[in-house]
Amino acid sequence: MTQAEIKLCSLLLQEHFGEIVEKIGVHLIRTGSQPIRVIVHDTRTSLDQVKKALCVLIQHNLVIYQVHRRGMVEYEAQCSRVLRMLRYPRYIYTAKTLYNDTGELIVEELLLNGKMTMSALVKKVADRLTETMEDGKTMDYAEVSCTFVRLADTHFVQRCPLVHATENSDPGPPPPAPTLVINEKDMFLVPKLSLIGKGKRRRSSEDDATGEPKAKRPKHTTDNKEPIPDDGIYWQANLDRFHQHFRDQAIVSAVANRMDQTSSEIVRTMLRMSEVTTPSSAPFTQPLSSNEIFRSLPVGYNISKQVLDQYLTLLADDPLEFVGKSGDSGGGMYIINLHKALGSLATASLESVVQERFGSRCARIFRLVLQKKHLEQKQVEDFAMIPAKEAKDMLYKMLSENFISLQEIPKTPDHAPSRTFYLYTVNILSAARMLLHRCYKSIANLIERRQFETKENKRLLEKSQRVEAIIASMQATGAEAAQLQEIEEMITAPERQQLETLKHNVNKLDASEIQVDETIFLLESYIESTMKRQ
Amino acid sequence: MYQRSCCQTTKEWRKLHQLAVQCLGKCLEGNPRLASSPRPVSFQNLPTFLVQLVAMAGNKGRGRAAYTFNIEAVGFNRGEKLPDVVLKPPPLFPDTDYKPVPLKTGEGEDYMLALKQELRETVKRMPYFIETPEEKEDIERYSKRYMKVYKEEWIPDWRRLPREMMPKKKYKKAGSKSKKVDNTSKDTSLTNTADVLKKIEELEKRGDGEKSDEENEEKEGSKEKNKEGDEDEEDDAVEQEEYDEEEHEEENDYINSYFDNGEDFGADSDDNMDEATY
Repeated sequence: MTQAEIKLCSLLLQEHFGEIVEKIGVHLIRTGSQPIRVIVHDTRTSLDQVKKALCVLIQHNLVIYQVHRRGMVEYEAQCSRVLRMLRYPRYIYTAKTLYNDTGELIVEELLLNGKMTMSALVKKVADRLTETMEDGKTMDYAEVSCTFVRLADTHFVQRCPLVHATENSDPGPPPPAPTLVINEKDMFLVPKLSLIGKGKRRRSSEDDATGEPKAKRPKHTTDNKEPIPDDGIYWQANLDRFHQHFRDQAIVSAVANRMDQTSSEIVRTMLRMSEVTTPSSAPFTQPLSSNEIFRSLPVGYNISKQVLDQYLTLLADDPLEFVGKSGDSGGGMYIINLHKALGSLATASLESVVQERFGSRCARIFRLVLQKKHLEQKQVEDFAMIPAKEAKDMLYKMLSENFISLQEIPKTPDHAPSRTFYLYTVNILSAARMLLHRCYKSIANLIERRQFETKENKRLLEKSQRVEAIIASMQATGAEAAQLQEIEEMITAPERQQLETLKHNVNKLDASEIQVDETIFLLESYIESTMKRQ
Repeated sequence: MYQRSCCQTTKEWRKLHQLAVQCLGKCLEGNPRLASSPRPVSFQNLPTFLVQLVAMAGNKGRGRAAYTFNIEAVGFNRGEKLPDVVLKPPPLFPDTDYKPVPLKTGEGEDYMLALKQELRETVKRMPYFIETPEEKEDIERYSKRYMKVYKEEWIPDWRRLPREMMPKKKYKKAGSKSKKVDNTSKDTSLTNTADVLKKIEELEKRGDGEKSDEENEEKEGSKEKNKEGDEDEEDDAVEQEEYDEEEHEEENDYINSYFDNGEDFGADSDDNMDEATY
């Protein structure tokens, strides 16, 4: 893993799980697979804390374990999974758009807890939904279960691998670690549960604002004593399916930008039909006939068959090659070139970065070299119609930032510079990797800056929180407006201004993080798709 | 002649000559002594001129001779002013010529922003967030006691984890043996300081075997401060113990753990298993 990735993972782990888990996690990412004793020794933390940290990390699918020879268990961190933590808001928001608040809360709870059983999950979500409902109304478990089943059917949640049930006839000591197996067919199989109940509203007496010491708190009541019907069957969020959805979204919006709304709807229909038939890493979807597409168009769209055919022909002839024609049966068989589409999206990102960093003339040169594949210095000047000196300057600037690379073609075996062609070219894969690396660095910078800003104003933030708490409690007990006014004036006007600025800055930094993550997604998808094809 | 050997073609030689003349011109500008020379620089006497120059410069420069490649391809030619050599790393915050494009706005983006900030606060309250044990400050603030956030305990599913993950109770056996002894003798051993002191004396007289038993009693008794981590088989015993302690706590105002007889100092310092809570 590159230094930038490790730094970003460290910041994410620290924000989510605290410093101890961060230390262990980063150590594992850096050094690879290790047994527990070595971790304890290298990180100089106590065994107890390492165990706690590893339990947390394994629960969240960030670390996996394997039994090696001589019965040693080794733990390995999944760096790419750690980086997914950046994308949690996007996953939750997608679930909201597809399955409303219930779906949103289900996905949120799953992401926050790593893995959960269906019964625990349904109960928790019902309780949360009940909190937000008006007094007297409660959320039924059945409704939540229904949404959960729909999520499982569309593959957005999946089962975690199960503990392999060994027969008791196996003599000898039990294995040091359980083997986890998962049957492909069972991955989305929802257990038959009859969850009956309603969400419970949290009573105000259980409110922990008073911070009672732990010993005095009564243990949770009898719910824990009942046997859980789906014990051992855990569910987790299926991030690959979300990625597939994001990819489809990106393709559809690209088509909408390039052509019009109707063509984007057609592409969306095609993608929806291929959701279950095509694996997510395939280079192109299964062929779909024009008749099928016509039948599956959404109800609101009443375009005639000829118009649909025209649109499809137009899409297939487009130089971007998102849609391709693979045959003529059934009114024309059409496929969507997923790999090419991802490539075009990644290239578009690169172009836009060049344009925003170096100017539109550089962008012109960049697009020219992309189109013509290999060009000499002189040819670049001629085709781009830019004076020689400036063209040279721009080319070298882009070369130094590794957007463009030089290809040497020697005429003689001794590679003498006077007898070698030097051609400028754009290697999309390596440029994409370079840009991805920069994205990781920028997010790490954004997070650091945000933490710095928050730390600078910590005192002020705490003060404002206290004032808000006082105001809230006073309002609850019915205070006069004058008293409230007095309390509010505890925060002076310049301080208020400072708070506003802080809030504005933090919002901006957060929004930037989310947006950079979108670019990261595009580039990662492209790189992954290319690597799979090789 | 050495002039011809370095160039491939006559064309190249002529180009080189032109370049040399220009360079020479530049040099002469700065050097008035040479500039006053009456002889014009021509095709024939260029080499000698150059040699003179070189000799004057005190340099045996062989490297000052011609170039072996097409000079234009390098990028600078005709005696252009080259940019200065940079001898330090690039600046940490370079100036950008182009300002960044404004961020995307919209309903979705706003919602995701709110979600992100909410999640940031929520994860701090989850049981998975393990706080670093802070060092004790000089003065323990009264308000700190009431600002502690109550966290739910989380117990992982031990069946899914390697066996070495489970926290092992060091004195499990002793614990189960002395459980019964605990419940009956707690009243006597903990509430009365005199008794405790007597016990200490007794312990000193007795051997090690029994000493450890007593130690465990003391430890289990003084455990309200430390949370039990043994969630496994001894749930009932734990519940009962906790209940007993609660009862005890409410009976008197003294903190039971205050009377630390010092015997278990250092005994469990290496392995804080029982403080483990998830």
